[in-house]
Amino acid sequence: MAEKITLTVNQVPYTIEIEGWEHLIDVLRDEIGLTGTKRGCDDLSCGACTVLMNGEAVKSCQVLAKRASGADVVTIEALAQGTKLHPIQEALIESGAVQCGFCIPGIVMGLHGLFRKKLDATEAEIADTLENHLCRCTGYEAIFEGAKLAQKKLKAR
Amino acid sequence: MSLKYVGKNITRPDAVQKATGKARFLADIKLPGMLYAAILRPGHAHARIVSIDTSEAEKCEGVVKVITGKGCSQKYRYGDNIRDFVPMADEKVRYIGEPLAAVIAKNPHQAKEALKKITVQVHPLPVYTQATDALADGATLIHEASGDYWHLPGVGPKPGTNIATHYRLKKGDAAKGFAESDVVVEAEFKYPFGSCAAIEPHGSIVWFHEDGMIEIWSSSICPFIIREEVARVYDRPESDVRVHIPEVGGCFGYKSDITVEQTVAYIASFVPGHPVKWVATRKEDFTSTLLGHGMVIRMKIGAKKDGKLMALATTVYHSTGAYADTGLHVSIAAAHNSTGAYEYPNCDLETFLTYTNTPPIGAWRGYGHPEAQFAQERLIEILARKLGMDRFALREKNYLGPGKITSLGEHLWETNGSIQKCVDVVKRTVFDKPRPPEDPEYYYGRGFAAIMKSPKGAPFSSKGAYLKFNADGSVVINCGGAEVGQGLRNVVRLVAAETLKMPPERIHVYTEIDTQFSPWEWQTIGSMFTKQGGRAVWRACLKAIAQMKQTASQVLRCDVDLLDYDGEYVFLASDPSVKVEVTKLVRGYMYENGMVVGEVVQACADARLPRYSGFDPATGQGSMGVSYTFGAQAAEIRIEKKTGKIIVDHFASCFDVGRVIQPQQIRGQVTGGVVMTVGAALCEEVRFDQDGKCVNPLFRKYRFPTIKDAPKKQTVDFVETPGVIGPYGARGIGEHPVIGPPPAILNAIHDATGIDFFEIPVTPEKMKKALDEKGSGGEK
Ligand code: FES
Ligand code: FES
Repeated sequence: MAEKITLTVNQVPYTIEIEGWEHLIDVLRDEIGLTGTKRGCDDLSCGACTVLMNGEAVKSCQVLAKRASGADVVTIEALAQGTKLHPIQEALIESGAVQCGFCIPGIVMGLHGLFRKKLDATEAEIADTLENHLCRCTGYEAIFEGAKLAQKKLKAR
Repeated sequence: MSLKYVGKNITRPDAVQKATGKARFLADIKLPGMLYAAILRPGHAHARIVSIDTSEAEKCEGVVKVITGKGCSQKYRYGDNIRDFVPMADEKVRYIGEPLAAVIAKNPHQAKEALKKITVQVHPLPVYTQATDALADGATLIHEASGDYWHLPGVGPKPGTNIATHYRLKKGDAAKGFAESDVVVEAEFKYPFGSCAAIEPHGSIVWFHEDGMIEIWSSSICPFIIREEVARVYDRPESDVRVHIPEVGGCFGYKSDITVEQTVAYIASFVPGHPVKWVATRKEDFTSTLLGHGMVIRMKIGAKKDGKLMALATTVYHSTGAYADTGLHVSIAAAHNSTGAYEYPNCDLETFLTYTNTPPIGAWRGYGHPEAQFAQERLIEILARKLGMDRFALREKNYLGPGKITSLGEHLWETNGSIQKCVDVVKRTVFDKPRPPEDPEYYYGRGFAAIMKSPKGAPFSSKGAYLKFNADGSVVINCGGAEVGQGLRNVVRLVAAETLKMPPERIHVYTEIDTQFSPWEWQTIGSMFTKQGGRAVWRACLKAIAQMKQTASQVLRCDVDLLDYDGEYVFLASDPSVKVEVTKLVRGYMYENGMVVGEVVQACADARLPRYSGFDPATGQGSMGVSYTFGAQAAEIRIEKKTGKIIVDHFASCFDVGRVIQPQQIRGQVTGGVVMTVGAALCEEVRFDQDGKCVNPLFRKYRFPTIKDAPKKQTVDFVETPGVIGPYGARGIGEHPVIGPPPAILNAIHDATGIDFFEIPVTPEKMKKALDEKGSGGEK
């Protein structure tokens, strides 16, 4: 029952044969080899798999691969430019938010989705976005501080 | 001591790799010829296997092999402490997540699909999920042949019962202590099953090579235990088993010991030449790895009228699940650490480690301390009320400290730190301001908990460091400590920078652990890495400096003890202009004519806790703590009257850690640990129905704190009374912050409402129900 989809990932076009059960996360990790997108759960609750699809932060384990046909997808791998990190990455590192790091790519992408649309998001809105992400290491304090620092850095750009 | 790098917020070396998504975790690894395993889990938690039919599954697309555990329990039985584990169910299943059969296929989806075609017939047996039920007279045995299992001396199953080990500690004379007490309080407490629930699920890859090598990758913190046990089971020299530990996405305990690796090894042994990969689904991570806690604790305290503690009796009923190997030391630690931060002259502390039909119980951040001290800190609060004494005054009369003796019989000294200083900090930030008065919407309360943490190691729990100077004077260090997020690579780097007197950027710290190249380490547990691993690094640095001085003494023609070292040069202390560059010494010193003298500078060192021992079977006492850390924690909470929801407005923690190595990281350890057991106190519980089925093996149903459930504010502070073992006086911190939140929060609930809870989690429903009962004219 293989079927073909075409999509753009990090500005590179791909045509990929998919199976009906496959989700966007499988395409990214297994077909394209972009393993920065993480899988932490079976029930859409951890947010480790978050990517941008057509500009929106989505949980890639939730998106059936065929729904991603024609989509423009951005993953964590596209954020840094060479050795120059994206301000969100810089900010999370500076605030001490990176412990085991398994939740971090998803959080970077979730915040990226938020700030692209609304750079002047309130603290409550930042917390709403971060509520989509589970982190077992940090207790969220450093992540929240990092998010606010990222906002500041992005505004100053 | 003025320090240049230790104590500074220098960024951890692994941050960029992780933030860019480039750090390589187990699931990210692809190997040539790799096959994928999916594992069938039984529909019953306790049953005799009648038949397993794999014929239809074998015909499925992509399937390479279908495997059952038939006959495996003879040859493949494993375990570190009690050899009771099997890699796959043989003859009977003992818990709902046990491996029952496996499919190896070309891709994971094919493997999972084929599983559905396996048919199993079983004969169900009675199911016990609680130790107290499994201990009842006439209970069906979960391990009929437990008496035959190999085990460590002094522990082990009681044949003919479901007891996997009974441990009892006696200090002084508890009966006499109670008889001489003016007041006695007792209660039963429950710390239910919990999941470590790291965001990265557990998993392993095992590859039986054609030449006899066995290569393993695992999301684990104990590569050397895996190596030893796999080598033993498959009858290979340890040197032919090579274990890699990639980046680990959180551990908190359950990726310790050896569990899933033996199952994946057993599966992979059927397809030599192919690496076989298995990564747990989240459901399997709950039901088929290790869970934590599962303790019912009966505790009794006796005291004099003036508050002097006289005796403590603790009985732990520990539901250890279907296999006890991994629960054994947790249980023992719970018993002897149930004194908490207090000196009891007389103790009778015991635990019944009991086989049940849940997933096996193992390490969960804190290792017996959170459970036992939940009971201690709740009960001492109740004692204070009964004595009519101030909660702080009662505690202060009895704190462990210099001149005091622990339950294990170990003496404490100034260098174990000061609990009083920690208490003072927490008191100041929480209790020295007025409590907000009750208002129409909320009750307000504050609660306190003092904590004590011993490491819970083993007599052979060494850690090692290999250090190598490069030609340009930069340094590479390898350790066997697993980085699971706690930040130990930065500890290694900062301790080395300080000791070698060189900037941290010149020191490169290992990423992967590989048993072929990494120094031996027992396992990265017990909040021991900073202390022991840090000490090993410090010792390796000193050895390297000594090597350089040795060579320099030849070059500069003087006694070695007249030389000094500053990171760039080795020089004559009395005349620093007589010197030789480090870069000229690292490969030995070469004269102009090409002759070389002296050693290549590379050092190897280890460190362990001094005089650590097992326990004396007669008393249960022994040198099993060696290094203690103390702290104080407190919660300020609000309870919504309408819903019973408990909101933690402020949580304060202070520990005497001896020395802060990196302030931002240590704060992160505390904020993260606090939130973890704010979860245990208020929402987390892995639940089983009466048939032993797990009813909430999903994040959405297990519910651990999101950012919105975390305390609104955390105060985190440290006292630095240097210890004598760790580098620059440092002690551990990884597990400590999880101990205090449940008792502090439950003490705060009492402060707010007058209601005593004896078990967690206190969900809004339970709180609301208790408030309603109280409102309708129940207790005060
Ligand atoms: S993997 Fe957890 S939400 Fe997608
Ligand atoms: S840093 Fe480990 S889960 Fe967030």
